[in-house]
Amino acid sequence: MAFHYFFAHRLHGKRGSVRHASVALATLFAATALVLSGCGSRTSQTGIGASPSSSPNTSASATPMKGGTLTVLTSQSSLSLDPATSQSLPTTTTGLVHRRLTTWKISHGKTTVVPDLATTTGTPSDHGAVWTFHLKKGLRFSNGKPITSQDVKWGIERSFSDTFTGGLSYHKQLLAGAANYHGPFSGQQLNSIETPNDSTIIFHLNSPFGAWPWVASLISFAPVPRGDGTQKSYGNHPVTSGPYQVQSNSPGRELVLTRNPYWKASTDSVRKAYPNRIVYRMGQDDTVAAQQIMQGVNGGDTSILGEFVPPAQLAQAQANPQYSQLLVTSGDGALEYIAINTRHIRNLAVRQAILWATDRAGYRTAAGGAIAGNYATTLITPGIAGRQKYDLYHVPTGGDPARARAILKRAHVTVPTLKMVIQQNKTEQASAIQSSLKKAGINVRIQVLDSGVYSDTVTNNQGNYDLTIASWQPDFPDAYANLAPLFSSSMIGNGNQNMSRYSNRAVDALMTQATQTVDQKAAGKLWAQADQRIMHDIPVVPLIYSHNTFIHGSRVAGFDIGNFPAYPDYLTMGLTRD
Amino acid sequence: MSHLLRRHPTHSRRPRSRFASPSILWGGGIVLFFVLLALFAGPLTALTGNDPYSEHRSLLGPRSVPLGFGGGISPSHWFGVTPLRGVDLFSIIAYGTRVSLGIGLASTLISVVIGVAIGLIAGYFPGVTDAILSRTMDVFFGFPFLIFAIALSAIVPDSFPRPLLLILVLGFFGWPSIARLIRGQTLTLTHRGYTSAAQVMGASSTHILLNEIMPGLLPLLIVRLTLSIPGRIAAEASLSFLGVGINPPTPSWGRTISDAVAWALVDPMYLIFPGLALFLVTFGFNLLGDGLSDALDPKAVIRAEMTETAETSKTTATESSTRNSAPAVVQQGGNR
Repeated sequence: MAFHYFFAHRLHGKRGSVRHASVALATLFAATALVLSGCGSRTSQTGIGASPSSSPNTSASATPMKGGTLTVLTSQSSLSLDPATSQSLPTTTTGLVHRRLTTWKISHGKTTVVPDLATTTGTPSDHGAVWTFHLKKGLRFSNGKPITSQDVKWGIERSFSDTFTGGLSYHKQLLAGAANYHGPFSGQQLNSIETPNDSTIIFHLNSPFGAWPWVASLISFAPVPRGDGTQKSYGNHPVTSGPYQVQSNSPGRELVLTRNPYWKASTDSVRKAYPNRIVYRMGQDDTVAAQQIMQGVNGGDTSILGEFVPPAQLAQAQANPQYSQLLVTSGDGALEYIAINTRHIRNLAVRQAILWATDRAGYRTAAGGAIAGNYATTLITPGIAGRQKYDLYHVPTGGDPARARAILKRAHVTVPTLKMVIQQNKTEQASAIQSSLKKAGINVRIQVLDSGVYSDTVTNNQGNYDLTIASWQPDFPDAYANLAPLFSSSMIGNGNQNMSRYSNRAVDALMTQATQTVDQKAAGKLWAQADQRIMHDIPVVPLIYSHNTFIHGSRVAGFDIGNFPAYPDYLTMGLTRD
Repeated sequence: MSHLLRRHPTHSRRPRSRFASPSILWGGGIVLFFVLLALFAGPLTALTGNDPYSEHRSLLGPRSVPLGFGGGISPSHWFGVTPLRGVDLFSIIAYGTRVSLGIGLASTLISVVIGVAIGLIAGYFPGVTDAILSRTMDVFFGFPFLIFAIALSAIVPDSFPRPLLLILVLGFFGWPSIARLIRGQTLTLTHRGYTSAAQVMGASSTHILLNEIMPGLLPLLIVRLTLSIPGRIAAEASLSFLGVGINPPTPSWGRTISDAVAWALVDPMYLIFPGLALFLVTFGFNLLGDGLSDALDPKAVIRAEMTETAETSKTTATESSTRNSAPAVVQQGGNR
């Protein structure tokens, strides 16, 4: 449920919530020709691949050397590495410290799910409702203790505790009997996770679910030593299983990762662990950090920027051949959209008018021009299995205010001033939307919120807003992760991401049916059907599939972005010799 | 006043009018220019058919940076257009003047009203009243204004108009310096002969405050008022810069400068024009305030009158020594 803010709050240097624990949580991927190699059961490696023509996302061609200190400059003011509260991708920060049952391997632009702690990506039985994993031999935590299946179970159970909020919840929806489970700290176990011995773990799901190997790669499936991590502050100095351990973590200043002596490369097919140390400098101004990296001063040559390149520095770097080499842009990634609060704006005609009035070209220009992304019409993002390209309304990219006025006139409605809540980094885009809606006679009042206040406002139970600009990249490459979190009626409020507060029984039923369909081809068709069905109600206005641009220092190599996710792969980057 | 000039030959070198000094002319000219800009922002921007909201995307390059010289300067866009949306920068600055001057003037008025009232009372009623009010001023002086303002704008419901909020916040926190100044001045004026005469004749406190003391405070007040406006304009700009001031799309210099900082290397004029406007208006007010301060020179006037009184009553040495202590008090008050 990576709820992706764009650039971090520029002035205050912090992101709103713990769910952005990964430095580069945001969005995207290159999509023109991604095809899920749909194996029904997905016991073997499953993946999405790109056509050979679409891999422009590789930067440094040199091979990284072992050693050195890589610096990550981030505007975030704190970094929590707690598997129960993080929403970080398997291939960014938490991937360096936490292993999971499975993980992602990104090579030649293609992302596959591969075994990590487990020996396989899972063996299904009962038509895909029961999944069994066996752990590899010789796995140890950074404290020297062996990693057992109970530790994996404990890690998952912890995520149900009310102490921890903001983490991913896919497994919470899918595991049997989890609805009333509140964590292991008062002695209760989650019976749908079985550990018959130290190396075997069995999951019992509510219903068949074909994409479970992907779910098992998420941060919630990282082991936590049984009995450990009862404190909220566990994420500052967690026991790690990956190639790095936490040497120090001082919020607002820096997080230092050093090598974990108990990690063995022979058990890990994905993590390259090139640098000796990885230092996160927090509270950086991303415009200053981008300059530092471009000019290679103050260690900028061995640094990367944890956030997207701000629009001004993007324009500056693009204009300079030397700097533009340091940029890496992803393909089609997150869906950026206007969420219309359907509980406030119940009249479909008003939502239609908003859709017709929205000037997507203006939005994209305000987001930095063509490099910001491609125009969006579908809710499932390009590259996801089963996605069908469609355009229900054929709205011109510049919008059609006259048509919007006509719709409102025909429906005999006058629209009151609408309140749009945004974060500061969206001011220009929101102003563009505001002026385009005004042409259709719809007045919008923009309220700029601090990122913490913002994420609460849009995900709490009150929903005190009419419009917001949001962005969504699925947490794993499956249509389920595209649609369910945004449009399922069970995802309204309580910190969930259904920001349009959209509730439609028919759509809920269709999504449930698609979730339970193990045959991926058939499931894909159902998801595509749900996609169009939702757009008939216009709970959101799709704007663009964003392209994320990142920047790295001249001595950083292996800074690659696959077709999914739209973030650089932290597990394979390192430094070159001078 | 005429015999004063005779007494002090230096004064005769002043221009015909005391108000024709270069600082007043220049400062006043700049201030007048911005006042006119604020008043006629509409017609002025209409000359080129612009407003601070419309986008001109055709003027932007593929990277959303304005095409052409100086951020897209042209006959129809005197200051060019902004990156990302292509809004006319001159319109933003012209309309932004309304916000800046409006908030600056209105909040100063609030501060002056509170400050004068409290300062007068504290200065005229020594003892407990003075002690309480003076300590209150001290508390307000030590208050972390910026942090409070940021916290307040997070709490206040968004339906509350932002400009009004800023006026109230700036006005409410700006009075202590004025109050201190007025208190000091009131203290000295209270011991003047004509005030004592009024007291002896049985005039009420209200009468004395309004008719005897207030007029003596006016020159000081005018100077103080002029000098405090630029600080408030800058405070509004800083709050908007920090994202807690005026919400978009209402044009505001502070927010524009905040947005433009990131573009300084790519599109410098985007930063330079609003920065220049902010500089000029604060410069203008400061110049005007300085000039007025010289022209009205409340301190000099008082000091001169003191000397005069002292000289005429030089008959006894004891009296002269008590009088001599008076200028020290004036000096103290004037320094605030």
